[in-house]
Amino acid sequence: MTSESPNSSRKVVVHLRATGDAPILKQAKFKIAGTDKFAKVIDFLRRQLHRDTLFVYVNSAFSPNPDELVNDLYNNFGFDGKLVVNYACSMAWG
Amino acid sequence: MENLSRWDGTISSTEFRIAATTLSKKWEVINPELPPWTWIESPKPFWVTSLEVEGYLSLENYSYKFSSDDADNRICVDTQAHENLVDTLCGSRSSCQKEEPVSFGNEEEPVDSATLVLNDDDKKELHYYDFHIVYSNSYRVPVLYSRGYRSDGQILTLDEIERDLPANSLKVLRESKWTFITQEEHPLLNRPWYTLHPCGTSEWMKLLFLGGYSQAKGGSSSCSVMQQYLVSWLSVVGQAVGLNVPLEMISDFHHLCTIDNVTSSNGNSVTTS
Repeated sequence: MTSESPNSSRKVVVHLRATGDAPILKQAKFKIAGTDKFAKVIDFLRRQLHRDTLFVYVNSAFSPNPDELVNDLYNNFGFDGKLVVNYACSMAWG
Repeated sequence: MENLSRWDGTISSTEFRIAATTLSKKWEVINPELPPWTWIESPKPFWVTSLEVEGYLSLENYSYKFSSDDADNRICVDTQAHENLVDTLCGSRSSCQKEEPVSFGNEEEPVDSATLVLNDDDKKELHYYDFHIVYSNSYRVPVLYSRGYRSDGQILTLDEIERDLPANSLKVLRESKWTFITQEEHPLLNRPWYTLHPCGTSEWMKLLFLGGYSQAKGGSSSCSVMQQYLVSWLSVVGQAVGLNVPLEMISDFHHLCTIDNVTSSNGNSVTTS
């Protein structure tokens, strides 16, 4: 997008969206530095929901590695100026 | 799969085959330096009359790269690793007795020379992994099978594999010992492999697509969902075993899907390709 600054220090608006049985957060949108790792978003959700096991994924049916940078996620999956992150509380393997 | 909202998160074996083609094609383009995902056809027992070709996706000789800090820590702190190291060395030396306590002092020249390889710069003993994605007819979802081995071919034990797992997976493994990674018979090779439990797969696949896909750019046609299925699935499963799926595998998906439309609609009517 031409209107956006390519500056790596920009903030990204993250929109947290509850799916499945997950409770909705009071504050569903917040800004985070693009240079932060996705792990920071996951940790924030863990603290807010008091859950260790969460299923966190972005808006294209993709679950990013916690080490990915928020900037890279925004560039690949963001639109309308924000990055939508879905979360669910149940994540059972077996 | 006409309606995404009523979809139960499972796929048919034909859809698995289509999704497998997409995954291996995209993997090759985006990760040219990594081993490829290859479709392996498995021989059918003679009494099976089904026209369906059985097979699985296979990625072999994958090795985890560790930073030099990790490598040093692992070798210095981990006494179990030392023991395993001794086991490995003894395995290749007929003269060495396994029970003999080994010190790395000056008088143990033969052992010292062997450990040199491990302490050399940032190298550690590399572990290699084979990953197979096999379709489960009972759960109607893909299942990941894996096995790890050393460069000399010696198979890794679960204890050793645990040390290669991401920290979060290790935590899950401790909490749910029997419902995460266990050793089972590989359904097509009939040998013991480690597998990730598939019971929950359809549930989280459904969530992944319902919550994540409906509002994505380009909307959702059943064609693209089915093709994307394995890539999306691997983005979750890969994290459990430390196999990273780059973002680019998904982000350019809608573009590729348009190109692949023709292939997939043909693929539905053809059982072999």
